[in-house]
Amino acid sequence: MSSETSAPVRRGRAASVRRWVRRRGWTAGVWLLLLALIGWYTTLIPEFGEFEITSIAKNSLPSVYLALAQGVVVISGGVDLGAGGLMVLSNSTAAALMEGQPPEVTVLIALAVVAGAALLNGFVGWVIAVSRIPDIVVTLATLFIFTGVALMVLPSPGGGTSGQLRYAFTGSTTGIGTNFGPSLIAIAVPTLLFAAWLTRTRTGLSIYAIGSDDHAAYLSGVRVVRAKVTAYATGGGFAGLAGVALTAIANSGDPRFDNAVNGTLNSLAAVVLGGILLGGGVGSVVGAAGAGIIFFTLSPILTAMGIDPNTAQVVRGGVIVAVMVVAGLLQLRRWRTQ
Amino acid sequence: MTETETSVRDDRAGARPAEAGWAGYLSERPLLVLGAVLALLVVVTVAIEPGYLSVRGVRNTLLLAAPVGILAAAQTVLMLTRGIDISVAMVATLAGYVVGSQAGTGLAYSIVVGLLVGALIGAVNGVGVGVFRVHPLIMTLAMSAILLGLLSQWAPTIFRGVTAVPPFLRTVGGGSFAGHLIPYNALVWAAVAVVVILGLRRSGLGRMIYAVGDNPTAARLAGVREWQVLLVVYAISGLLAAVAGVLIAGQVGSVDLRLAEEFLLPSVAAAVIGGTSLFGGVGSYSGTIFGALILGVLNTMLTFLNATQAMKQVVFGVIVLGLAWAYAAAQRRTG
Repeated sequence: MSSETSAPVRRGRAASVRRWVRRRGWTAGVWLLLLALIGWYTTLIPEFGEFEITSIAKNSLPSVYLALAQGVVVISGGVDLGAGGLMVLSNSTAAALMEGQPPEVTVLIALAVVAGAALLNGFVGWVIAVSRIPDIVVTLATLFIFTGVALMVLPSPGGGTSGQLRYAFTGSTTGIGTNFGPSLIAIAVPTLLFAAWLTRTRTGLSIYAIGSDDHAAYLSGVRVVRAKVTAYATGGGFAGLAGVALTAIANSGDPRFDNAVNGTLNSLAAVVLGGILLGGGVGSVVGAAGAGIIFFTLSPILTAMGIDPNTAQVVRGGVIVAVMVVAGLLQLRRWRTQ
Repeated sequence: MTETETSVRDDRAGARPAEAGWAGYLSERPLLVLGAVLALLVVVTVAIEPGYLSVRGVRNTLLLAAPVGILAAAQTVLMLTRGIDISVAMVATLAGYVVGSQAGTGLAYSIVVGLLVGALIGAVNGVGVGVFRVHPLIMTLAMSAILLGLLSQWAPTIFRGVTAVPPFLRTVGGGSFAGHLIPYNALVWAAVAVVVILGLRRSGLGRMIYAVGDNPTAARLAGVREWQVLLVVYAISGLLAAVAGVLIAGQVGSVDLRLAEEFLLPSVAAAVIGGTSLFGGVGSYSGTIFGALILGVLNTMLTFLNATQAMKQVVFGVIVLGLAWAYAAAQRRTG
């Protein structure tokens, strides 16, 4: 084959490979790392079967959705510290409303919660775009407000949902089982659809455009305010979905402030490892979703190795710093060579 | 007090009918507005609870505001350089543990070690942000995660049995003097305030902090070594966090993993309320002091009103948002 291919074609192929690596290399690397980690995990525990796959898949759902939520906002050039708060608010609202309701009603409530979260965060995005207050300040305020409202809706952990809704996210009406299909679908379908929407539609690309350079985007005819609102609204929708998933997994709601803060911090960590540049315009939400699962799997792996699972926190922090340092050095080298 | 209140009303009435003069005058003097807001809050609090201005009320407000004010000093200095420090709460907690564990070897020694550990961790943040150009939010967030992980492991091992705090620190952190009117930790806060305000205004480092935050490129071309400034500033932030941590530990009387958690967001909020811009180069610590006091009075007032924690959170959030919006509007007006 090599003897038949002419030099220009070969060069063209090499260039396209290089381009693929540059554009999707990081995302592919994240998912390969996840596969390697899970592969390693299978050697660490005596038995790795459907139960373990189900457990990892369903329990990483909230992290995945929250990574998608944070991802789209960071791509648009912002940062959403309130994402965890919105997840907790959705979790509490869903659990409070769904308890004792028939399956059809719980599904309707789930849809309403996701839509409500999207509307609410869209309004937050509008406030940011119109007032020009830094994203950090506005979403810091919404973190307070959302968790406060969550405590009013559900003063202490409790509530419930229907078995059917639990099945949709966990593959079992009791939340425990070996049916990993629904959880894997719940990870893959929203992630891939969302990524396709972001990179292939006019609206999605406008979110990348304002994150890259909102002034240039404005001059090229992108409606900056609308793109910002769309980014925060879709992010809010996924934060709401994370809350609903949490309700389905735990069969209850938990309004505690810690959950909100941890959710936000983990989502930021996932976005950074996932290859989305803080500052906007670069990266894929698919990578962020993979990174979200990676951070989730660290705890069971360390436990299986007989290491204090609290080390997972240390590893998580160390990985984030290492990624940022490497990314910074690469950027520096690229500038120097250009 | 009532005079202040009426003057506030007059200001607003004057500003309404498109009188750019009043609005412009006030937007150039944010401290005046902040003072008025604080006075108004005090008046409202007295109206709700007439005994507030007596001994206990003021003392409680200061007792709560002092650690927030010291942590907010760290945030203010960092925000001036376009930075932020999410790790202050964990650094403060760590300092509390270190002081508690070293208490047997002498009080002064334990405090010095605690503060040094804080400064050292701050310096590590500074290396990440200044030398390796890691985004401040990410760097300090990661540091926070690392410290939480380490402390969770160390609490039952290295720091086992460290729960109590030496009596002297309990006095400094929670005691008061002058007829129980002024808590000792407010004295520490006052000392920190003098150093930070004078340092920012008068010292070369202070000017470099404003220069780096206002325009990093210009500062670099003028010969400022940005990474050195950032390294020092983050070390100072760690040191201040450790001071606050020691005071909080003294006030609570014991140390645990959640020691300083609830102070993180108010520390950022106080700086934002005080008019320090996250975009760098704009703001002062005097504004932040008002911010911390406003949050303190507000907290006391809401407690008098029997507001739940949930209600407080919502009110805090709305106030941070409202004031930030007002600042953004004022800045656009003045250009």
